[in-house]
Amino acid sequence: MTASLSIISLSHWFGSFKALNDINLEIEAGEYVALLGPSGCGKTTLLSVLGGFIKPTTGQIKIGSEDMTYVRPAKRPTTTMFQDYALFPHMSLRDNVSFGPRMAGIPSRERYRLADEKLDLVGLKADGSKRPHELSGGQRQRVALARALAVEPQVLLLDEPLGALDLKLRRAMQDELKDIQSQLGTTFVHVTHDQEEAMAIADRIVVMNAGRIEDVGVPSRVYREPATLFTADFMGEMNHIGLRIENSKVLTSFGLTNFLNLPDGAGKLCFRPEALRIDGQGHFLGEARLQDVTFFGTYTRARFASTDAPDQILVAHLPPTHILKTGTVFKIHVENNAFCYFPDNIEN
Amino acid sequence: MRRTFSWFYLAIAFGFIYLPVGALVLFSFQEGGLPVPPFNGPSLKWYGEILSDRDVTSALFHSLLVAIGSSVIAVTLGFFAAYGLARYVLPGSAFIRALLVAPLTVSYLIVGLGLLIVLTNTGVGLSLITASIGHVVINLPLAFAIIYASMGAQHENAERAARDLGANETQVILLVTAPMLSPAIAAAFFLSITLSWDEFIIAFLLTRFDITLPVEIWSMLRSGLSPSLNAIGSVVFLISVAVLLLLEFTVLRRQK
Amino acid sequence: MNSDNVKWGWGFVTPALIWTIAFFIVPFAVMVAMSFANLEGRSLTWGFHLDNYEELATRAYLKRAVLVSLEITLTVTLVSIVLAYPLAAIIAFRVPLRWQRLVLLLAILPFWTSYVVRSYAWLLVLAREGLINQALLEFGIISDPLTLANTRFATVTGFVHFFVMLLTLTIYANLKQLSPNYRLAAMDLGANPFQTFRYVIMPLTLPGIVTGAFLTFVLCIGDYVTPQILGGNNELTIPQVIMVQLGRRADFPLASALALVMMGMVTLAYLAAARWLRIDRV
Repeated sequence: MTASLSIISLSHWFGSFKALNDINLEIEAGEYVALLGPSGCGKTTLLSVLGGFIKPTTGQIKIGSEDMTYVRPAKRPTTTMFQDYALFPHMSLRDNVSFGPRMAGIPSRERYRLADEKLDLVGLKADGSKRPHELSGGQRQRVALARALAVEPQVLLLDEPLGALDLKLRRAMQDELKDIQSQLGTTFVHVTHDQEEAMAIADRIVVMNAGRIEDVGVPSRVYREPATLFTADFMGEMNHIGLRIENSKVLTSFGLTNFLNLPDGAGKLCFRPEALRIDGQGHFLGEARLQDVTFFGTYTRARFASTDAPDQILVAHLPPTHILKTGTVFKIHVENNAFCYFPDNIEN
Repeated sequence: MRRTFSWFYLAIAFGFIYLPVGALVLFSFQEGGLPVPPFNGPSLKWYGEILSDRDVTSALFHSLLVAIGSSVIAVTLGFFAAYGLARYVLPGSAFIRALLVAPLTVSYLIVGLGLLIVLTNTGVGLSLITASIGHVVINLPLAFAIIYASMGAQHENAERAARDLGANETQVILLVTAPMLSPAIAAAFFLSITLSWDEFIIAFLLTRFDITLPVEIWSMLRSGLSPSLNAIGSVVFLISVAVLLLLEFTVLRRQK
Repeated sequence: MNSDNVKWGWGFVTPALIWTIAFFIVPFAVMVAMSFANLEGRSLTWGFHLDNYEELATRAYLKRAVLVSLEITLTVTLVSIVLAYPLAAIIAFRVPLRWQRLVLLLAILPFWTSYVVRSYAWLLVLAREGLINQALLEFGIISDPLTLANTRFATVTGFVHFFVMLLTLTIYANLKQLSPNYRLAAMDLGANPFQTFRYVIMPLTLPGIVTGAFLTFVLCIGDYVTPQILGGNNELTIPQVIMVQLGRRADFPLASALALVMMGMVTLAYLAAARWLRIDRV
């Protein structure tokens, strides 16, 4: 069971606080979409509106092709997986998972069969008669998933489902969620503040900030070619270089450069730490002195200070086998096509 | 539909809850001699009467004495007992705790009865002091429980730091422990005073000549319904409400 | 923890211990002993006599007092819970969040009238010349005033008034402790408000209700004031009979025996509540 989602001109106020500011988004049936952003950006509010727990101030929600803006949660073809799972502590796992079907009036034999089927899907078939408090955090999360899927929703809404799990478990669950979603084909909308999680699981990422959508796209595009400065910084570490362009001459803290075709004005030139090279390949930027080096397992993080403008710090992710001496001056290059430019205006 | 039922039920419930209080306050302003309809008035004469009634004012004073006196003792004993049990490893501490809390499991009547038996058999006279003793018995467990529950690890570390900096035991308790626990101590004190102030049966059994306000009200009841009783009740109610609202809008607001 | 200065520890604890033992444990023990004593006219003989308990088991009016206390207490407990739960639920779920504390406070404000005065106030309302009768007469609903005061009805009403306020407070606290997501999850899975309440909210608040019921039972069965003011003299509760024994006859032994029987009933109620809670908790 699956359906598309249309969010049309959605805005929501809490008193005088504008939590959602004219959100427009189309989600295809069967897509796995991540709503990504910092606390307070509105992603959870948006999820609540999609789930029917909040009636939006203005705007429209369409599920499939039907207007469901004001339909109650019970009648909506969506189910929500809550951050604290909200498993009913006084019921067994089987009773928890079969709760939805029970409310729909399905007789006990049939709904227990359904429940066992869903528990099997998440790998907990043998534990049907246990109570939630007997399970670990990761297991409870799976039961919550099974319970949400038992009503066979067209859209599954997940509110930071993996937040309470440790790193290893989180990675495992990300894979599982992806598998289950592709198996079922249901549309998943997954709220998270972790950009790595979003990139790992989503078909498309929706980056949100202060009630607005900053960027929408596939993970690789949003990471490499972010649409806004906020998105650039949120998706990972980013180097910034201030730019001033006059009469098509480009002035940076590294001196004059004229390779870029940019309009007059001021802005920020950005590139990722992994795009910075000290082996002579790519576009030459200037010289910088190595400040410090830290080993991070899969890469070496190096911080450089420009020799011309020592306040300008650049961060590089170099191959982990590099052995570098602090204080040495290096020639800094940046991979071609790795630059993003964001003009200074009110938007940024 | 469900919504209107809720408000309807709320209204009925509030009506039921405030019916006696409403009648009480209304007929305290009664002109005539009976605190029942029809209502003639308003008149303040009954308030004047009770405020000039020696028995009433002295009973009020006695209630205050007993309440404050017994609360000070109960909270002090409770505080030290909580401190001793929380900071020192004593053999059978679980048993001691159970013992200290035991009076809570028994009805006030039984507490009063037991003390009455002992006092009559040992020939000790009944007085405000004996009533206070009874009130300490019922308030000590509460004070102990409230303060004990508030003694956490962070308090212990602060005490350790104080000792480390050279304070002796007395200084630690006076300058560090007690101030840190002041919310719990204040709560225990407030609760103790409230319970003692309104307590009837123990005060009734264990006083003779000097009595507390609830006992005075009781003996006035013997003479039948009178608006003077309404006046006393209204005064007590209004004072309690005023204190409560004061607390709500100052202390509790600040904690938010 | 300071295990080396144990003497200090004892020093702190001893005063409270002495007080509790001297003024609670010892009197209680004396009372127990007194219940086994024998009173002949004016002379009291200590020892192990079962006369008092025999009297309790045989004398009609004593047996009736136990029955009356039990009936009233159970009625009050049941009615108070049934009336308080919806009130607590309405305040917790229907009243806007910013007003909840105020509404709750207003609902329990009459708590702060003196306990004696409150029972007296009900007498005012229920008396033959009282508020209710006057109103009913005024509107022509009845032609003769009803006897509402000095009846079991009055006693139960007086108790229910007190306990509804107490239970509203405790049940409200209980309801608020529940994660709001339980309700949302149930609704999300298709439950209507009634189903949500029946299958999720109520079972989860049951432990709180059992505790509240036990508290009500204990306070109600041991109360002297309300039945004495509102109940009239036709049927007496245990506390009233105890006071009669003390007052007119100075019969401490019988009074003690009665007190112990009352304690026994409270203990049974405690065991029942504890067992219920243990079953529910799994």
